[in-house]
Amino acid sequence: MYQTRNLIKLCCLLLITAFAVGCDGPTTSGNNSVTINPNAPVNQPTEKDLQPGLDKSPMDMSYYPVDYSKLKMTGSITEPPVARVIYSRPQKNNRTIFGDLIKYGQVWRLGANEATEIEFFRDVDITGKKVAKGRYVIYCIPQENKWTLILNTDLYTWGLKIDSTKDVYKFSIPVSKTRFPYELFTMEFEKANKGMQLDMEWDSVKASLPITW
Amino acid sequence: MKQLVVLFLAVSIISTTLEAQFKAPALDKSPMDMSYFPANFPILKIQNKATEPLMCRVCYSRPQKNGRNVFGDLIEYGKVWRLGANEATEIELYKDVKINNDRLKKGRYTMYAIPFQDKWTLIFNKETDIWGAFQYDEKKDVLRTDVKLEKQTDPIEAFTLVFDKTDAGANMIMAWDDVKATLPITFIK
Repeated sequence: MYQTRNLIKLCCLLLITAFAVGCDGPTTSGNNSVTINPNAPVNQPTEKDLQPGLDKSPMDMSYYPVDYSKLKMTGSITEPPVARVIYSRPQKNNRTIFGDLIKYGQVWRLGANEATEIEFFRDVDITGKKVAKGRYVIYCIPQENKWTLILNTDLYTWGLKIDSTKDVYKFSIPVSKTRFPYELFTMEFEKANKGMQLDMEWDSVKASLPITW
Repeated sequence: MKQLVVLFLAVSIISTTLEAQFKAPALDKSPMDMSYFPANFPILKIQNKATEPLMCRVCYSRPQKNGRNVFGDLIEYGKVWRLGANEATEIELYKDVKINNDRLKKGRYTMYAIPFQDKWTLIFNKETDIWGAFQYDEKKDVLRTDVKLEKQTDPIEAFTLVFDKTDAGANMIMAWDDVKATLPITFIK
């Protein structure tokens, strides 16, 4: 009886270990599956073509205050939100992300598909720089030890083509290691001691952009 | 002793795994999507093929049919529906528009629908950044209009909202299960 229990425990442990190792395991440097060819023809949707599939890297939205839209629904908040980010969430899929799929020193759209959009509903202060309220494209140039985050005014564009002549703010922030790999690229605001921070995580990398007002 | 060590290891691995999962929000069941008029505007833009400026965009979430009968069953007739899932569906107009002879100023609005068997009442409301239709406030409506429906022969799995060019402007086409609703929009130059 005891031996059987032991065996079950051991099997569980092995399974868990295998799973944990698998997440970190051998990586393939495949192509970014969410990439589109910017020169491919675009068809206008026709009435016959009403079944566009769900996106491989689905879009998501984060507000500050955290869960703002739910707080507003429950009536526990009446003041306007501070910020909102709309981004798409690519998946790790066993690939090494930083330094491999996403090259160091090159522009990364901080998501997938459409360029990632951040909106400030009031003036804010980011790493000591005043940022005027409004809507911006936000993108990233990752390095091994730091990320450069850039706000750009060329809105409503696809993330593969950034017009850097419309950059308006640049911030440099350190990166840290996460304890476990993040399968999905994640952007979320979090309350900080002073103001808030925009947390960005993917694979084993985390970066936080401090925002005050 | 060995048992204890194994158990301790198992528990610590499970708890740290749970912690990691807790920190990373999962993909939404009804993922968010965006539709533009002109359709596919961001892609047209980077290909230098956009011949007119962006007129409007909708940010909505896409629930799936999953074998359910949607209208009259999952979504009851005569009740306000959020025209999607999760956050209330948002439309942003970059130009003033005309909808059924009513004028609507450019800006950001929340959209709802009241589905009936033979028509939908579409609602534009100025309470933005809110979740669902649970606190829908009629006093904040800016426009209501009825649209006709068509039957779809092939049921549509994921709720879909797209724009299609017309001579006068655009049709906003909303389709799910076997129902297709069309809202004609005219842009005021």
